[in-house]
Amino acid sequence: MAIANVWTRWRSAGDPLRAFVVAVLWLLLALFVLYPLVELIGRALSDDSGFTLAPLTAAINSRSNLRAFANSLLLATLVGVCGTFFGFLFAFTVERTRAPRFWVRLLDVATLLPLISPPFTTSIAFVFSFGPRGFITHDLLGMNNASVYGLSSTLAAETLTYFPLAYMALRPMLAGIGGDLEEMAFSLGSSRWRVFRTVTLSLTVPGLANAFLLLFAASLADFATPLILAGNDFPVLPTEAYLQITGMFDLKGGAVLSLLLLVPAGIVYLLQHHVVGRRRYVTMTGKGRASASQNSVAPWAGAALMAFCLTAVLFILYLYALLLIASLVTSFGANHTLTLAHYRVIFTEGLPAIEDTLIIALIGMPIGGLYGVVVGYLVARTEFIGRPAMEIVTMLNYALPGTIVGIAYLIAFNQPPFLLTGTAAIIIACYVFRYSPTGIRTTVALLQQIDRSIEEASFSLGASSFMTFRRIMLPLIMPAFFAGLSVVFIRSMTAISATIFLVSINWTLITVRILENMTELSLGPAAAFSVFVILVVVVVTGVLNKVLRRLTAPGLRLPAVEG
Amino acid sequence: MIASKSRRFANLTFSRGLSRRTLLGSMLAAPLIARPAFADDTLNAYSIWPENYARPMMEAFEKASGIHVKFIRFSSGEALARVTAEKNNPQVDVLFGGPVETFTAGQTQGIFEAYTPPAAADLPARFKDKGGAWTAIADDPLVFMTNTQFLKQNNLQAPASWDDLLNPAYKNMLQMADARTSGTAVTRIFSILQVHNRNEDEAFAYMKKLRQNVQLYTKSGGGGTLPVGLGQAGGGIFFIVDALFTRQQGYDVQISFPKEGIGSAAECIALIKGARNPEAGKKLIDWATSPAMQSLLAPNKINFIPANPKVETEAGLAAILKAANIIEIDDTWAGANRQRIVQRWVAEVLNAT
Repeated sequence: MAIANVWTRWRSAGDPLRAFVVAVLWLLLALFVLYPLVELIGRALSDDSGFTLAPLTAAINSRSNLRAFANSLLLATLVGVCGTFFGFLFAFTVERTRAPRFWVRLLDVATLLPLISPPFTTSIAFVFSFGPRGFITHDLLGMNNASVYGLSSTLAAETLTYFPLAYMALRPMLAGIGGDLEEMAFSLGSSRWRVFRTVTLSLTVPGLANAFLLLFAASLADFATPLILAGNDFPVLPTEAYLQITGMFDLKGGAVLSLLLLVPAGIVYLLQHHVVGRRRYVTMTGKGRASASQNSVAPWAGAALMAFCLTAVLFILYLYALLLIASLVTSFGANHTLTLAHYRVIFTEGLPAIEDTLIIALIGMPIGGLYGVVVGYLVARTEFIGRPAMEIVTMLNYALPGTIVGIAYLIAFNQPPFLLTGTAAIIIACYVFRYSPTGIRTTVALLQQIDRSIEEASFSLGASSFMTFRRIMLPLIMPAFFAGLSVVFIRSMTAISATIFLVSINWTLITVRILENMTELSLGPAAAFSVFVILVVVVVTGVLNKVLRRLTAPGLRLPAVEG
Repeated sequence: MIASKSRRFANLTFSRGLSRRTLLGSMLAAPLIARPAFADDTLNAYSIWPENYARPMMEAFEKASGIHVKFIRFSSGEALARVTAEKNNPQVDVLFGGPVETFTAGQTQGIFEAYTPPAAADLPARFKDKGGAWTAIADDPLVFMTNTQFLKQNNLQAPASWDDLLNPAYKNMLQMADARTSGTAVTRIFSILQVHNRNEDEAFAYMKKLRQNVQLYTKSGGGGTLPVGLGQAGGGIFFIVDALFTRQQGYDVQISFPKEGIGSAAECIALIKGARNPEAGKKLIDWATSPAMQSLLAPNKINFIPANPKVETEAGLAAILKAANIIEIDDTWAGANRQRIVQRWVAEVLNAT
């Protein structure tokens, strides 16, 4: 088999094919990761006479920029703390209480919703619920003149949007650790609270730190929620950079502002690298995994936890119900006659955006998946010069806030020699290099679970190279491939922060249309678009998950897929 | 589905090529993916008019001229930023719709190609650039729009003076556009300056007072209309076209004018310098400035006032305008001072705490 032959050659050291692939990867990384960043920094830190730090010092000395910077950090920290808390509560409830299966399923589905929704959905529902005439603040609580714009609602909306990341990161961790230790502690007579404090919680600390950093980074980069909810008294950097460019026609000012964002983003990335680097992966030891203790929570406490989680879930479902209703009535809040008119609009006027988005997502998907496994394999299983550097560079676009990446692409690819403005390629490249790192990480994590010697054992036991490839490598790589491509697909359908700068007359995106609809008071089509995106993502990821489950070797565990 | 006809075809040929590429699985092919966007019979445009206004117009133009139109909608600030950024590599032929101040700002960037359509001869001076950089296709005065329910609850009449908006009853209940992104906001600020006889300090003192009552400065000019319609906000200052659209959608709102006067923005069209299909662009400009397009506004329930004097203003719209004291904003002065004024607004009004 050709594939198996290629693979055999690949394994042998000094393979010219491998050298070629490494060279091509470096070329692509230089073009789509390093070059735009260099151009961005160049644009921000230069004037007619050449290099200067003046724009940066001017930006730092501006009171309003400093305020936006401080606000961004404050918001990210709070979202990190609150989201990690929620995520832990959910994970703990699912893994440690005797919750009925049905309710756990419900929790899983409801927490998935914010992860696969286009931006703005929670923000809009928040305005309807908590505004001066909101359903909750005004109609239910009888408050007048409630203020929905500002820190508290931005914080609430972002926490709701991102805590599922913490839940997904913490749940496998809680499932895998401490069950036997907890049992031991119990048999030694410890109280439940003491066990929770000294065993469960202390074993989870690295996971909590990781979850916090994940959420901190997500919030720092979030552009959509503050755009709708932050209001005038709580400016944050990504939104300010966007307004600087689109409103004041000030590309340079936007570039400088996004450079300010680079500092905390970089620090978080380094910290995360440190924490993740020390994370130990569950390996295939052949020993059965100790199941989590079923005894660690008192029945009343379990019921209370479950009630709390269900309340949160109900609230999430309520927000999405609002969205569904807004897509199905003539004009939300004034005329509640049922109509399909908004869906007709998105499938006629909105059709180009739908087609473009699907084409871009479908092209980006296999490329992103392939890129993920190739880089993951190279990084985890081979040695070549510059390997650690490649690992870092591949993570750059992922670690940086989307606004930076988008502005960098806008500057770099709007001029010869790489004139990509107006093509689909610029959007696809943005998605692939920004969202494939999940695939890379999954590949690395999977490969780390099996020792190299298993391949060698397969050979020495007389299996052909094809057999080894099919039985050992393929089952290992395929799950990572599918995990990687499904993240690229989800993000291609829902992301906006980077690509809002890259849409063009030829290629536009659903998420950008949603923003346009919302700013031109066509709430119905915006809601209909959102519902459509959620349905498509649910169907596609559902199919991919089926494939994935079939392909995953028993005993292997996929690390949580982090957006 | 105008734009779609040619697009669909493009998509088809494109996706055929695509499947082959995917089979090759080559990432290197990705940069080659570009649509055949600039066929002779295709016109590309950025529209500042929202999709639901621009689309029926463009469809009618396609029918009349046989030229395919591809357009995408951006708010005025974004559209201008894009055209400016694309100066060396123009992506579109025409900038369609949008308040005159956007066009005068673009003029200083040198992004337009002068072209005077035949209909310009019929237009009053404020509806055309002397050099032909832009021509008006419609007129759009600002109005006060308030939520009827809100007025009732607070025992208020619809505001009839700029000072009425300073009433503490409106505290935290007004929404209007952010001058950084919206032409509506810039027109509003110049109206206030004009009402104060261009005494800037006085005008800014008023705006700072008004800031106390503002709940949110929205990204787009019409961004506040839905909140006002829903009662999330009590009122705001909008273009009449957005205010009447809100009412058409069934929201119970009042429309009123300040007795001191309020400004109006000519909605314009211009040819982009370096357009790849200037001939088609000129045809669209000819058509849009003539009665051929502007007589379609009323039947499509688009509440712009036609710029071309040969087209009569729809009766209902004319009745509303009877109460209005529309004052003229000096576009040349506004264009020259736009950036400074907006920056001052950001520093002194928006960021005031």
